[in-house]
Amino acid sequence: MTDTFSQVWSDSLQALLQRGSSAGADLVEIFLERTDHIGLLAEQDRITSVNPTFAKGAGIRVFLNGRDGFVSTNDLSQEGLTRSLDQALAMLGLQASGLSTANGFEGLSPLRDYGHDKETWLATCPSMADASSRLLQGTAQLERLGQHLQVRRGSYARDWQEVLVAASDGTFARDIRLHQSTGLSVLAADGDHRSSVGRRYGSSDRPDDLHTWDVEASAAEVCQSAGKMLRADYVEAGQMPVVLANRFGGVIFHEACGHLLETTQIERGTTPFSDKVGQSIAHSAVTAIDEGISSGAFGSLAMDDEGMEPQRTVLIKDGVLQCFISDRAGELRTGHQRTGSGRRQSHSFAAASRMRNTYIDAGPHTPEELISSVDNGLYCKAMGGGSVGPTGQFNFSVEEGYLIKDGQLGRPVKGATLIGDAKEVMPRISMCANDLDLAAGFCGSVSGSVFVTVGQPHIKVDTITVGGR
Amino acid sequence: MTSQSLNAVQLRDRIQLLAQQAGVQHWDLGAACSDDCSVQVDRGEAKQLKASQRSSITVRVWNSDGLVGITSTTDLSDGGLQQALDGARQASQYGNPDDVPQFSPLATAPLPELNRPLKSRQGILPLLARLRDAEADLLGRHPAIQTVPYNGMAESLSTSLYLNSDGAVRTMERTQASLYLYARAEEQGRKPRSSGAVRLALGSDELDIPGCIKEAAERTVSHLGYQPIETGVYRVCFTPEAFLSLLGAFSSMFSARAVLDGVSLSNRNSIGDSLAVPYLSLYDDGLHPGHLSAAPFDGEGTPTQKLCLIEAGKLQNFLHSEATARSFGVQPTGHAGLGAKVSVGPDWFVVQTSEGISSGSALNHTTCTDPFVLIEDLSALHAGVKATQGSFSLPFDGWLVKNGERISVEAATVAGDIRSLMNSIVHLEQDLEITTRGVAPHVWVDGLSITGEA
Repeated sequence: MTDTFSQVWSDSLQALLQRGSSAGADLVEIFLERTDHIGLLAEQDRITSVNPTFAKGAGIRVFLNGRDGFVSTNDLSQEGLTRSLDQALAMLGLQASGLSTANGFEGLSPLRDYGHDKETWLATCPSMADASSRLLQGTAQLERLGQHLQVRRGSYARDWQEVLVAASDGTFARDIRLHQSTGLSVLAADGDHRSSVGRRYGSSDRPDDLHTWDVEASAAEVCQSAGKMLRADYVEAGQMPVVLANRFGGVIFHEACGHLLETTQIERGTTPFSDKVGQSIAHSAVTAIDEGISSGAFGSLAMDDEGMEPQRTVLIKDGVLQCFISDRAGELRTGHQRTGSGRRQSHSFAAASRMRNTYIDAGPHTPEELISSVDNGLYCKAMGGGSVGPTGQFNFSVEEGYLIKDGQLGRPVKGATLIGDAKEVMPRISMCANDLDLAAGFCGSVSGSVFVTVGQPHIKVDTITVGGR
Repeated sequence: MTSQSLNAVQLRDRIQLLAQQAGVQHWDLGAACSDDCSVQVDRGEAKQLKASQRSSITVRVWNSDGLVGITSTTDLSDGGLQQALDGARQASQYGNPDDVPQFSPLATAPLPELNRPLKSRQGILPLLARLRDAEADLLGRHPAIQTVPYNGMAESLSTSLYLNSDGAVRTMERTQASLYLYARAEEQGRKPRSSGAVRLALGSDELDIPGCIKEAAERTVSHLGYQPIETGVYRVCFTPEAFLSLLGAFSSMFSARAVLDGVSLSNRNSIGDSLAVPYLSLYDDGLHPGHLSAAPFDGEGTPTQKLCLIEAGKLQNFLHSEATARSFGVQPTGHAGLGAKVSVGPDWFVVQTSEGISSGSALNHTTCTDPFVLIEDLSALHAGVKATQGSFSLPFDGWLVKNGERISVEAATVAGDIRSLMNSIVHLEQDLEITTRGVAPHVWVDGLSITGEA
């Protein structure tokens, strides 16, 4: 078989789908993948790590009566794929006879090739020399703009992926994806005072993105934040109103609410919103979107990992739940229509309903109006990571925070953690500003780590628990 | 390629030939193959059945300037290996001349004996039957337990090896099985609560399924009667699992790599410094019998060993790779990965009372009547720990214990500084518990800030 996925694979894949369908499967899906990744790390003024990685493999999933069996392998030979298919069939009590019997499989549709005009992307991405040079420019800018910097780091990752999806419902589609991300981080130290700050920027499908990266602006943002936080006091714990900045502030909506709107959560019985479509679940100021179509955004796709084109999905409109994020298994098991959201980290994972570019839509206010409406509270300018538990409780660290006193920004504070419950917090988002902006990120969940975008305008939460000292 | 077909000698010969053709004299590699399967269930039905056959190889080469490059691939065909060698040679042009790893001087030293016999695997359908039974048993333990949303049973066979052009050949094969059950319980008009348990074994026949069900049920039910806790400063008792989680998140204190990179709380001169109360000692013991995933060698082929990190409160050793050990003038300790820049990390922590220095026995989490917070598990360590600063602010599951009565704590965080915490330990209980993360007793700490919603 050729090294490139193309129409050439049609006969081989049809034979496998025929084999699975004849055995009695409701649906057979084959996902083929090749990847070419490179990661670079610059520390101080040296490139200290260059890591190229190549991978290929297949994930084969068989559905029967709502259940599924999934097998992944690195062996893309016909023998290897047949062995994996037979293993998936056997999991469901099915056995391939090798005979072609009437089974509803009518052959693959003509190949939808979303990768056709992307063949040159890999070759036009920055070379190791170019990428190294840009990273060293980044760490040099950090040195120039920062103070008390003990560690300066720059990182770059390029992920190229070619996929081919074939299923016994006729689906036959190919795509090439390209994701690039760059990051700068510092550790500032002065006596007992320390601050560590990092920022990451990412795009999809833009081979020249590293060349257009504004190194100086990125370095300035990191250094400014590190300088502000170096001598910040720890925040005093308590319940208070909070204003969350735009861009990566959207990680809270992603974690606290977005995951609960994936059909995998309905299947598990772990979302409080499963029967709330058409009902108010958030303040009327909140409209939330999940889409895979914004040009160049980290979570955008030409097709999902089940061969479906993505959509713009309105999740919440004026506080009212509109629909869920769904994949093939989600549609089968919950009845919610697929939204082009079947995603997976690699062939080792079965696709699942996952977010793409997810954000709270812009509102009518200015960011200043939000801050001036708070007497005593916290302004979260930059968020760190967070997580959501199986009962919907979430927690997020605040990387850069400032007290708000009498409607004015006050001194910087560190050590804050926001904790709460989506069901209780969503109705408390009472104001949205007019400065919607997006940020690239990675989301880890049931089908592995996938590229996503989070976003929001500045928003105000009337009250939330702030963990501190 | 399956794990059975990963033959070290054949792989060495193939790489040697390809390297010679490419003009590469000096190389090493790590390879791994695994064959595993897992099941999940949902209220009696099979939810997902998974199997995988995986192989991967990481090749390092030294170029004519002595610089190192590395490449990984999942393609173990001759074409794949050739591509990996080419990639590594190209990457070596960007090797860091200030930090060039070499072969470990211990890569051919005798390996420790590990008593980890391979166990036969049962296959996916027997796993499914057992997990169905376990789920049904757990659901029947309490009317409030309505689902077990996170569950799984898995078994695997894996092979790992390390080879280098100086003749080192390290191989290991192991089997492992796991079971996890996380239940969700909800009472009328109250918030849902969730907790669970995990078990590991060398084979699925050896999994302690009844123990896992019992622990998952008891832990979940114990959190039903939750109440908010008042924000304040508390005496805290960490379960062994929770204390090991916290310690693991700050393991850069013990990593020579992190010291050299300037991102550790320790520095080159920290050996001998007081890090903790004198009655605390800490070892990293990758050979401990309770460590089911133990490997006899690290990513550079260095034998695994037991290493004292803290003795009587004082820092004794750092964890080392070959390169960091050379920089510090010591021997590698068996804690390295494989890379152009080699990572260094802990294996299996053992926390215990220092020999001859007791903290007494006044405190016992099962009998203490004075108020304290018992922290069962910490969450979101990736987000709430600032390892380079020493600070943490973490959500936790636990109880406020008053007069022996345990009241589950609703939505709270615990915050502090790891250096202060290590010096605020007031007691290490006598009984050591083997967890999935290491070995430790219950650890009592004074003066930790807890934020609640009361």
